[in-house]
Amino acid sequence: MKQTANFPKVATDMFMVQLIWTAGFLGIMLIVNIVKLIIAGNQGNLAEGFFNSLFVAGGIYMFVLGILSIYFLPHFVGNGVTRKDYFKGTVLASIGISIVIPIITMIITVLEKFILNIVGLSYKEQTINNVDLDGNIIGDIIQSAIISPYVDPQNNWILAIVVLSLNIFVNYLIGWLIGSSFYRFDVAVSIGFIFIGLNIKMLKDTLLRISLELPIPGWYSMLDFLPFSIAILGIVVLILLSIWIIRFMTKRVAIKM
Amino acid sequence: MNVKAEKLQVKYGNHSALKDVSFELNGNKIYGLLGRNGAGKTSLLSILASFREPTSGTITINGETPFENPNIMQQVAFLYNKDYKDESDNVIDMLKDVQRYRPNFDMDYATQLVERFNLDKKKPIKQFSKGMQSSLNVVIGLASRAPLTILDEVYLGMDAPSREIFYKELLAEQEKHPRMIILSTHLVSEMDYLFDEVILINEGSILLQEEVDSLLSKGATITGDVELVNEFVRSMKQINVRQLGNTKSVTIYGELSEREREAAFDKGLEIAPVSLHDLFVHLTQGGIEG
Repeated sequence: MKQTANFPKVATDMFMVQLIWTAGFLGIMLIVNIVKLIIAGNQGNLAEGFFNSLFVAGGIYMFVLGILSIYFLPHFVGNGVTRKDYFKGTVLASIGISIVIPIITMIITVLEKFILNIVGLSYKEQTINNVDLDGNIIGDIIQSAIISPYVDPQNNWILAIVVLSLNIFVNYLIGWLIGSSFYRFDVAVSIGFIFIGLNIKMLKDTLLRISLELPIPGWYSMLDFLPFSIAILGIVVLILLSIWIIRFMTKRVAIKM
Repeated sequence: MNVKAEKLQVKYGNHSALKDVSFELNGNKIYGLLGRNGAGKTSLLSILASFREPTSGTITINGETPFENPNIMQQVAFLYNKDYKDESDNVIDMLKDVQRYRPNFDMDYATQLVERFNLDKKKPIKQFSKGMQSSLNVVIGLASRAPLTILDEVYLGMDAPSREIFYKELLAEQEKHPRMIILSTHLVSEMDYLFDEVILINEGSILLQEEVDSLLSKGATITGDVELVNEFVRSMKQINVRQLGNTKSVTIYGELSEREREAAFDKGLEIAPVSLHDLFVHLTQGGIEG
């Protein structure tokens, strides 16, 4: 008895579960941001927009979501779904979530801007891209891990959505990669994968900065001679490589019981 | 349904959990997989369910390798003593989820079972007691109606009335919707009447695979006067001895001939069938050598 492929079902289920979590996350972020705006308005300060708040927090959120996604594997295999269908479904769902978050964020940002115009509050100037690496290695690593190349939605909203999508998608993949390594290997090997994940992030950021003609600090700054097209290609290769490593680790993995 | 294993081996580091295991299962029967703790039952079953690959050897289900084979994996349901400590869904949501992936799942029957086991439909599963979580596994296992249903010690923590419901439902289901069921257990005395065939596994090897009736004819319990019993069983393999006053009861391993039966009858000795429990203990432990 032939069965239809299961991965579209997995993709739908993974997307829906993560979408519900995301709604909670965005809701909390929105409340926090409204409180911040009220405080800024009362004190006569400039506003930190929703887009910018989410730009940093969304990256961390997607990293955590990626780590959690490996724990759906036993659930699916236990229901007779192959590791391959789980993998395909999860990739599709993560792309979906990576697109949905920036779009919702942008819609909220437009509404926010409309309201701020009425009450006469203006946005702070953003300095996210002026990453200040000062040679303190721990500080530099943490900064590299958290901050991604930024495009101001006021300048180019389409590009801002694309860049945010790309940033959070790669963060999800890194989380999934590290989660998978902890599922498959012992702690020592998995710590190696944290290091690999960090390097994927920094390499992607550097290539993206080259593509966006932003200042290039950090470990991979020697790559700044690369032309735009190679940088874009490099990002694609990096994403495919991450996905391939995840598949390689989970392809034949034993399910923990 | 056909399951065939050839020279299966599973190694965890230096430890061999399964050693050259070969067997064949055929048809819609209830198989009892018996073995002591750590005998290799769960390792074997997790290979059937594609939870892991064997270190070496082959396994086929209906002629195909099950691992990462979507057609086979959908037909195999493996329920085990799972930890639901992080499961915040309630029973109904969980069953709906299973229904999406199990083509033969019967939601009406599942709901009936949930009521029979008295499971709270609204409570998050993580708040269930161990026995209730086990009942949930039974519900999923039975209602999925997978052509190969594997229940690995699913009764753990269930109270006696719940286990009774489980056994009754299992037999009723098997009559209405026959399939191959593998029950792994060490509660032998309680579940022996459920099995059509028994597979005995010990220290990673298959000791025997036999129909229950023919297995039980391999032993007998002789009861009577101490001296008469002693004389009768002198040359036989004794696996269990009980004595109360002047009456002795000895369980032997080995088939009694017609002549021996007549001799026992003449001496006024009583012959009763051996229990699967006694055989299990004897065969997996070495027993009491006479």
